[in-house]
Amino acid sequence: MAELVGSLFAEPTWVHYLGAALAFGTIIVFGLVLPIAGITTWVERRIMGRMQSRIGPNRVGPAGFLQWLADGIKNMLKEDIVPSAADGPLFRFAPYVVMVGFVGTFAALPFTSALIVADLNVGILYVTSVTALVVVGILMAGWASNNKWSLLGGIRSAAQIVSYEIPAGLSIFPIVMMTGSLGMQDIIKLQGWAPWSWNLFANPFAFVAFFVFFVSALAEGNRTPFDLPEAESELVAGFATEYSGMRNLLFFMAEWGNLYVIGAIVTTLFLGGWQIPFTFENKVVQHVLEFATFFLKAYGVGVLVPIWLRWTLPRIRVDQMMSMCWKYLVPIAFVNLIGTAAWMIWSPLWLQVVTRMVLVVSAAAGTMMFAHRVVYHLEYAKLTRAHLLFNPLATTRSPG
Amino acid sequence: MSLAGFEVEVQRSKDDGGVVTEDMTLSMGPQHPSTHGVLRFVIRADGEVMKEAIPDIGYLHRSIEKIAEKVGWHGFLPYTDRVDYVAAMFCNHGWSLASEQLAGIEVPKRGEYCRVIADELCRIHSHLLGVGSMAMDIGAFTPFTHAIREREYLNDLFEELCGARLTFHYMRIGGVGWDLPAGWIDKLSHFLDRFEPLIDEYDRLISFNKIFVERLANVAPITAEEAIDYNLAGPNLRGSGVRYDVRKDEPYSVYPELEFDVPIGTGEKGTVGDCFDRYIVRMREMRESCRILRQCVVQIPDGPVIAKVPRNLKPPAGDVYVRLESARGDMGWYVVSDGTAFPHRCKIRTGSFSAISIVPKISRNLMIADLIAVIASLDLVAPEIDR
Amino acid sequence: MGLGTYFRSIKDAITTIGEGMAITASHMVRKPFTIEYPDRLPDGIRVQDTLPFRYRGILEVDLEICTACLACERACPIDCIVIEAEKDKAAGGLVMTRFDIDMAKCMYCGLCSEPCPTGSIHHTPEFEGADYSLESLVRRFVRAPTVAYRPKKTGETDPVIKPILDRGMRYLAEFAKGGES
Repeated sequence: MAELVGSLFAEPTWVHYLGAALAFGTIIVFGLVLPIAGITTWVERRIMGRMQSRIGPNRVGPAGFLQWLADGIKNMLKEDIVPSAADGPLFRFAPYVVMVGFVGTFAALPFTSALIVADLNVGILYVTSVTALVVVGILMAGWASNNKWSLLGGIRSAAQIVSYEIPAGLSIFPIVMMTGSLGMQDIIKLQGWAPWSWNLFANPFAFVAFFVFFVSALAEGNRTPFDLPEAESELVAGFATEYSGMRNLLFFMAEWGNLYVIGAIVTTLFLGGWQIPFTFENKVVQHVLEFATFFLKAYGVGVLVPIWLRWTLPRIRVDQMMSMCWKYLVPIAFVNLIGTAAWMIWSPLWLQVVTRMVLVVSAAAGTMMFAHRVVYHLEYAKLTRAHLLFNPLATTRSPG
Repeated sequence: MSLAGFEVEVQRSKDDGGVVTEDMTLSMGPQHPSTHGVLRFVIRADGEVMKEAIPDIGYLHRSIEKIAEKVGWHGFLPYTDRVDYVAAMFCNHGWSLASEQLAGIEVPKRGEYCRVIADELCRIHSHLLGVGSMAMDIGAFTPFTHAIREREYLNDLFEELCGARLTFHYMRIGGVGWDLPAGWIDKLSHFLDRFEPLIDEYDRLISFNKIFVERLANVAPITAEEAIDYNLAGPNLRGSGVRYDVRKDEPYSVYPELEFDVPIGTGEKGTVGDCFDRYIVRMREMRESCRILRQCVVQIPDGPVIAKVPRNLKPPAGDVYVRLESARGDMGWYVVSDGTAFPHRCKIRTGSFSAISIVPKISRNLMIADLIAVIASLDLVAPEIDR
Repeated sequence: MGLGTYFRSIKDAITTIGEGMAITASHMVRKPFTIEYPDRLPDGIRVQDTLPFRYRGILEVDLEICTACLACERACPIDCIVIEAEKDKAAGGLVMTRFDIDMAKCMYCGLCSEPCPTGSIHHTPEFEGADYSLESLVRRFVRAPTVAYRPKKTGETDPVIKPILDRGMRYLAEFAKGGES
């Protein structure tokens, strides 16, 4: 970005840089982040509807596509209620802290080989640190609401996010060790476009690290099965109970947009990022294809799979969540760390190649088994449909 | 938040650092997303761990028992639907049984079979809601919608049978109000063909899911002695291992002619009598109800469905206590007649009322999330508690 | 906890979660069950036409066949039916001046339709009764003083009344009669 500003103005001063930063920020937030967060709500509601044998929103716009816009406008027009006994400044400030924690990560996400706002040499460290800012925001929201249920939600969330930082960080280390650098573009450049060249299949420890990281990232994003801070059946909306209108929407946009950030991080670290097989002379075409690859991978793994999990699984209790983190994920993450180090030192080249192939084949086999199971359920469901005589819309339901 | 007569003793303690800690008093108030109606719990908690959870009932009290004294024997039947609107057929049945015993009316055989069919369908109806709400409270929303989808078929069946989807008013004193319509038995058989495989799918989706089991196993186990002491009934009692079912032990209607098992909790995933046992007993009871329905469909005889009952019914003076196996357990109806066209007193004993009385005892040192699981596993419905 | 239990719990978690995910994934490709009432029903079907004959919707009184016997008023447990009828020698029988049913009080129990001798008061499949004022929920069926119907022993021959009476008797026939099949 600095070169861009330098090329536009003859003698750029700090004013020019500040203006450019603000302009860039606005474009990213309003052009990329908010639509992603909003459209994710539409995707989630449609997918959730189909999983529950019903249709999702389908009235506002084609197939309900403008529902998120309608919800956003409605929330902006709502009355802004601040409880009189709540801590005013803290209450008002909390959603913005959460949003900063979430939007700040976009500055370091590598969308294509050239489209990254800031290719920091500590990229991945920056991303994990900034996402930890949401803890402060959630605690502020929980405390300032002057509501014991919000407080419970806020404290649960703080405990959860802080605890799950550890396995998340530990799972990043194998990748960083293999790459030798913390920079996002470096990590991607060391992978290739083909599945067998991804970090995911590099060695069995990285394979397990993927799942550990995925679970930890779900927990940090307050998604089911870890959504106790906003457990709807218990705490209404947890730390966000007292919030109405746009402030409430900011919290939830942060949650849905965070899914995309999780996907982006996972794609960068494990799934080969924006790598595509061919290079084009036309740089625009190349970057568009790279962006599409990155977006599809990030969306598929980071948004669709968590949505799927959310509407399948019940939620875990606080103490079970803590024990899962400290007794299961952290030891496994440590084993991964040491295993990767040992692998890097001692494994011969032929073993690495063979392991990659074996892992790719077993992942494909696992997916095949899963698809087979889905087909089994569809066949089983036919058992229940073949006898369906009910037609609720038949106009001759009984004599008379 | 008003404690309204509750003497909740908040304990302060001082630890070594000189920090004074105090228990938190929460009101899991009458408006709460965990369905089950308007219930309130006053919780005294130390962080997440509860020290005491005191139920506060009465938000749904509608003086139904007093209304019985005003509207007469026949006129009270629609009100019985509202005693427990989730399982309304049983309440109809209870009042009809009590009135028939007082007046010495005998119900024709086909009428009894119609009653049993309606009862067992209503049991499936109620258990689906109970099991679905439980899954929703634990956090899985999809099984709830699947259960509601199945209830839609039942609603359609009931609609054809008696004209209403929730407050049936199907049974009358002396029998039932309408005979089975033409083609309804086929629809019932088709529903059963559809439903039995779906119970398996439901099991695979949620019942044995590791997270679900972990949330429910070993949570608030109720021993058999405690269950009997606290007067629990129905799946709550059977979940603790006590093999008692009014349909088998004090049979009424045509249950002696029907073959079915009584599932009890065996502690398969934890302790006997924990939340998981009560849940799985309900799932198994649905299967048994399907079995009973299939037998009824085959065995139902022809004939009248209702006996001749005078419109101005005046049972001789006396009192009677009848009990029947409602979806929530042993529902008892104590009715006193003084020989006039209006009952003298009606008292309804419901399973949820006893179940809520055990909640303070079993929820000591549980977490707040577990309280939700306990309330859901006891299948409390507020209308039954408050009447 | 032993090492065996440790790994077994991980394996259980993975298999049961995978099974659940397979079921929800299979639901994604199944047809949804929603009926999009009221504006996207297939082929212009009205939901009221699909309801069974016994459906207990909003009450309707066919005043042409009402005999002013007041059986429904006596049977209603909530006292939502108010009928005023007087003997009028000049008109030749009972004359009704008021037949009001307060639908706001009605609990749709059907106790009024059972004792009606001609099936004049009956439930319709109408259920959309929401309105903006409470007063509009009182259905007043008598506009001008009406002579009550007297059932003819030899059967009804009036072409206007006969179909209404037939429908009413068919409605009554649905109810179970004591002692008959």
